[in-house]
Amino acid sequence: MRLLSGHWRPLVAGAALAVLSVAAWPAAAQVDPLTPDEAFRFSARLVDAGTVEARFMIADGYYLYRDRIHFAVEPAGAGLSVPPLPEGTVKQDQFFGPVETYRGDVVVRLTLKDPKPGQMIVIAAESQGCADIGICYPPTVQHVALALPEAGKAPSATNPAPRRAWFN
Amino acid sequence: MTRLRLFILLTVGVLGLALGIGAAVWYRSAPDATALLALSLPDTQGVAQPLAQWRGKVLVVNFWATWCGPCREEMPEFVRAQHDLGPQGVQFVGIAVDKPALVAQFSKELDLNYPALIAGYDTVDLTKPLGNHLVALPFTLILDRDGHIVLAQVGPLKPGQLRSTLGNLI
Repeated sequence: MRLLSGHWRPLVAGAALAVLSVAAWPAAAQVDPLTPDEAFRFSARLVDAGTVEARFMIADGYYLYRDRIHFAVEPAGAGLSVPPLPEGTVKQDQFFGPVETYRGDVVVRLTLKDPKPGQMIVIAAESQGCADIGICYPPTVQHVALALPEAGKAPSATNPAPRRAWFN
Repeated sequence: MTRLRLFILLTVGVLGLALGIGAAVWYRSAPDATALLALSLPDTQGVAQPLAQWRGKVLVVNFWATWCGPCREEMPEFVRAQHDLGPQGVQFVGIAVDKPALVAQFSKELDLNYPALIAGYDTVDLTKPLGNHLVALPFTLILDRDGHIVLAQVGPLKPGQLRSTLGNLI
């Protein structure tokens, strides 16, 4: 056979090995979902010296569970007051009863109980959600660092509000 | 033979060899389930269950949680498949990233006919090199009787895919 003769041998051997090894490879994951940080994009900005606007921008085709969102602040001494989260879409779950989920944007105004002028704080947001393609993510914690304004100054604009265009 | 022709043939040959060697290296580094099968995880009663006890069976290892809707949706089919194919050596094992009490309650509601073991996300991390880069749920592995991974699925398994894969292994 001409293909197996002389100069073609290395090519045939290489190609055969490649085909064999690919065939032996276990069936790989067929889905290519976003990472949780991409699917549930978290941001936070200072509205004033004692108020933080926290926001999740949830990508199309993904959703977050309302009761699995938690916020914390570092240093803890800054004190964080979290209001009731906005109402989500209620779905009747056979096992858990009513379950609330969010799609699109979720905005929560957090209050700092004891902000210090000029202080650096970190807002940590834990969330957990799923994708419509049928997968769920482990709990994810995202962080945003904010510099509280010096006494008598307005908050700096180092962390501007996110633009919707980031998803386009 | 002209020099040009010789050059082309040599180039193609070298490229083919490189492809072959690359593929061979890739194949040799193919992930296996050794670390997973070496695990011993508690069931909902807190009794340690080594996965090695099911060696020699066609094993379906399904990572799930009660709060994971897509996980729960596919489980009734697993219960049916365990019932139908269990006598032929198929063993389903559920690994739940969840609270034991919730898992026990859900297992009862579903009439789960295969073991439900409890694990943390550190255990699910073991599935990263097996194709589950995002540590997502559900994640299902089908292993042949020798413990080789035949299928690794992120997200729900289609019933047809499950049955046809198992059909080839029993």
